[in-house]
Amino acid sequence: MNLTMARAVIEALIFASSEPIQLKTIAEIVEINEHTVKQLLGDLMADYQHAKKGIQIIEVANGYQFYTHPECSPYLEKLQKTPRNVGLSPAAIETLAIVAYKQPIAKAEIEALRGVSVESSIATLVDKNLIEEAGRKEAPGRPILYRTTKQFLRYFGLNHLDELPKIPDWVGVGTGELEFTVKTEVNKNARIS
Amino acid sequence: MDYQIQLDIFQGPLDLLLHLIEKDEIDIYNIPIALITEKYLEYLQTIQMLNLETVGDFLVMAATLMQIKAKLLLPQSQSAATTEADAAEEDPRWELAQKLIEYKKIKEATRSLITLESEQLQIYPRSGGEFADQKLAPEADPIKNLSIWDLMEAFKAIIESQFTKDFDTIPKQEVSVKQRMNEILALIQNEGRVYFKQVFAEIRSKIGLITCFLAVLELIRLKQIVVFQEALFSDIRLSLPEKVMNTQ
Repeated sequence: MNLTMARAVIEALIFASSEPIQLKTIAEIVEINEHTVKQLLGDLMADYQHAKKGIQIIEVANGYQFYTHPECSPYLEKLQKTPRNVGLSPAAIETLAIVAYKQPIAKAEIEALRGVSVESSIATLVDKNLIEEAGRKEAPGRPILYRTTKQFLRYFGLNHLDELPKIPDWVGVGTGELEFTVKTEVNKNARIS
Repeated sequence: MDYQIQLDIFQGPLDLLLHLIEKDEIDIYNIPIALITEKYLEYLQTIQMLNLETVGDFLVMAATLMQIKAKLLLPQSQSAATTEADAAEEDPRWELAQKLIEYKKIKEATRSLITLESEQLQIYPRSGGEFADQKLAPEADPIKNLSIWDLMEAFKAIIESQFTKDFDTIPKQEVSVKQRMNEILALIQNEGRVYFKQVFAEIRSKIGLITCFLAVLELIRLKQIVVFQEALFSDIRLSLPEKVMNTQ
């Protein structure tokens, strides 16, 4: 198969997939090495960008998928019968942020961090398939641990969890480090105010 | 409803506390507990008057603040305060400061996620997303908004109206359900949509009406037609499945 044809096939594969299609899967189907597929994909994605099309190919959840262009969104909204989900509630998204950055994490730990009960937020997030159970913690009561799902990545347009926006000095707050953390935080405050 | 909006601003006691601290440009590391407690309780009073459900978590924080206040009033033990780290751990405000700093980061993380979310809500995946679900999902419920009772009610009305009419003789009709089904289907195909009453209009015998009714039920069961009632007690509309989807 020549490269022009391969490129067309890759386009068709992405179009036909209901889920983001993985580089590995494409390479296996087209029988071309992943490196070449990646190059062809890059070409293809650039084509859509340059041609100012209403659709684009996006790399999401470790795969590739067709998406509409953001500028088209007001018109697409008109097409919809029911208004699109306006997004998660502030409480749900705050809970989700904790799970995303601290996973796997138990409910009680989330509650300690937020200072409120998170029962209903957890239920909503599990229901929307944004978080899932990730075994149990070896602690009294063996509480359920939660982690984010692949749907979470798709929902936020991320490829991997390490693409989450960086929050400085978050993880691993030991006693020794804490003082440092506190100081930076105080400095930051000074700058803001 | 003003209070609802006000409550939504604060996602919990830490959020409120952080707000009070930031508003007064207070150093998290050196919180004037008496002042904050006072402000916090003031706010709590407002919430308490308005919405009892959310108060629980806020009360715990108020208790914590007062506990800290009490501890600060007690004379410090001599053994403490030898090193700076010890002093920090001895300070009853330490734990609260730590929590607040953690919470500040959560807020930061939340803001990033909200930004990502709003970007993502601008674009629609080709399929598999909410968009596809919403547009294509109508696995056309063949008896939308209707129960068997609605159909029976309609049938009863027809029997009643039909039998009050004057007519001479009733020619014996031997029509099978199958035949009737084909007739109804043909009628709908010609007219596009047909009302329940129309289907029964020409029928004069009880057995004929029953046959016809069974034919309608059978067509619904086989999903060859769909029935739809626009409003309570309005005449039931029969149409072909795709016709319904187009007209909506």
